[in-house]
Amino acid sequence: MPWVAPLLTALGLYLAAGLLVGIPFVARGVNRVDPAAAQSALGFRLLILPGCAALWPLLLAKWLRAARRTS
Amino acid sequence: MSQVYVPVQWNRHKKVYDLILAGGVVGYLLLFYSGGKLLFPAPHGFSDEILLIRAFGTCALILLHLLLAIGPLARFDPRFAPLLYNRRHLGVSCFLVALVHVILVTGFYGGFGVQPAPEAVLAGYPAALRPGAMPFEVLGFFALLIFFLMASTSHDFWLTNLGSGLWKALHMLVYAGYALTLMHVALGALQDQTSAVFPALLLLGAGGLGSLHLVAGLREARRRSLTSTADAAWLDAGPANGISDGCARVVDPPGAERVAIFRHGRLLHAVSNVCPHQNGPLGEGRIVDGCITCPWHGYQFQPHNGQSPPPFTDKIATYRLKVDGDRLLLDPRALPPGTPVEPALLPQEAV
Repeated sequence: MPWVAPLLTALGLYLAAGLLVGIPFVARGVNRVDPAAAQSALGFRLLILPGCAALWPLLLAKWLRAARRTS
Repeated sequence: MSQVYVPVQWNRHKKVYDLILAGGVVGYLLLFYSGGKLLFPAPHGFSDEILLIRAFGTCALILLHLLLAIGPLARFDPRFAPLLYNRRHLGVSCFLVALVHVILVTGFYGGFGVQPAPEAVLAGYPAALRPGAMPFEVLGFFALLIFFLMASTSHDFWLTNLGSGLWKALHMLVYAGYALTLMHVALGALQDQTSAVFPALLLLGAGGLGSLHLVAGLREARRRSLTSTADAAWLDAGPANGISDGCARVVDPPGAERVAIFRHGRLLHAVSNVCPHQNGPLGEGRIVDGCITCPWHGYQFQPHNGQSPPPFTDKIATYRLKVDGDRLLLDPRALPPGTPVEPALLPQEAV
């Protein structure tokens, strides 16, 4: 199956980008996107990190929209 | 129903549920491993790695069947409803057990570091030994991706921020994940079986689940067709005295959301049947401590106004309701969520 290596590489790159977006998102961005998260502790932020890495384009768009609203 | 997100909103029920779940998983793995060693002793027995791969794989498969059976079972018999309460922990556990299965497989077939493990498995290493065999590993890989997406978005944060429509659609992928898992097992592990026991068990599981969902769907359709189709503003919602104290009757007004009519002593209240948290069936819940309590995750609403008790701010729609002789009449037009409504009063003789 010649498509296996490119598929895994693409998946790896997508998840790496997800971590690059996800880590700052759970640290800061989530507070802007959802006010209920502003007071939340590290445990919650770590728990949502895998989902943030998987759905990062969606969250990045939300983060940018929230930043535009507040700027 | 929380003002600040926490990783898990622990309560006694959840702790007991998780203890039983963890005990069940560990007990099954130990039983499978020790049973395998006893039934197939060395030198012709299975290696430790193969036994563990199969123990985790079959455990994930059993958890997946339980996960999918709980919903329809709870609709048949309310005694199953407590299992719904913490279903997301069962789902996350299923993913984690499947993940260990995949880690063991990739490690084992990759020679534990001799070659890049994921590629070794996905490239169809076992299939290469049997020309013409299906690359069943790919099916398992995509099933795991689906289960990862579901497990990683199971927190309330995701429901709020993805919206209930997208969140629900994402989590309905469990059926695609189940189909992929069935094919993964049927085209993989079952190909080596000389006994009919495991294929029969897999058929029994899939057939049982399919039948459960089919019968639950048919019952639902029948219940809908029995609901009054009267055009008047007030719908006949059945006899006034047929609802047990603390429980609800669900009515299905044509072209409108379902309504749950709860009885609390002599008072009758009508509210939306849909919990705003995860669309749980409120009408299958009970009144606990004076509040309507969702059977899925314990979200609570005051029956007279559909508002969560302070400090929570969730609200559900309420409906006007009245008793006419021995019949209950419902106005199926939903009032704005959180609107206080005068309850209907059951006649003394009907209690």
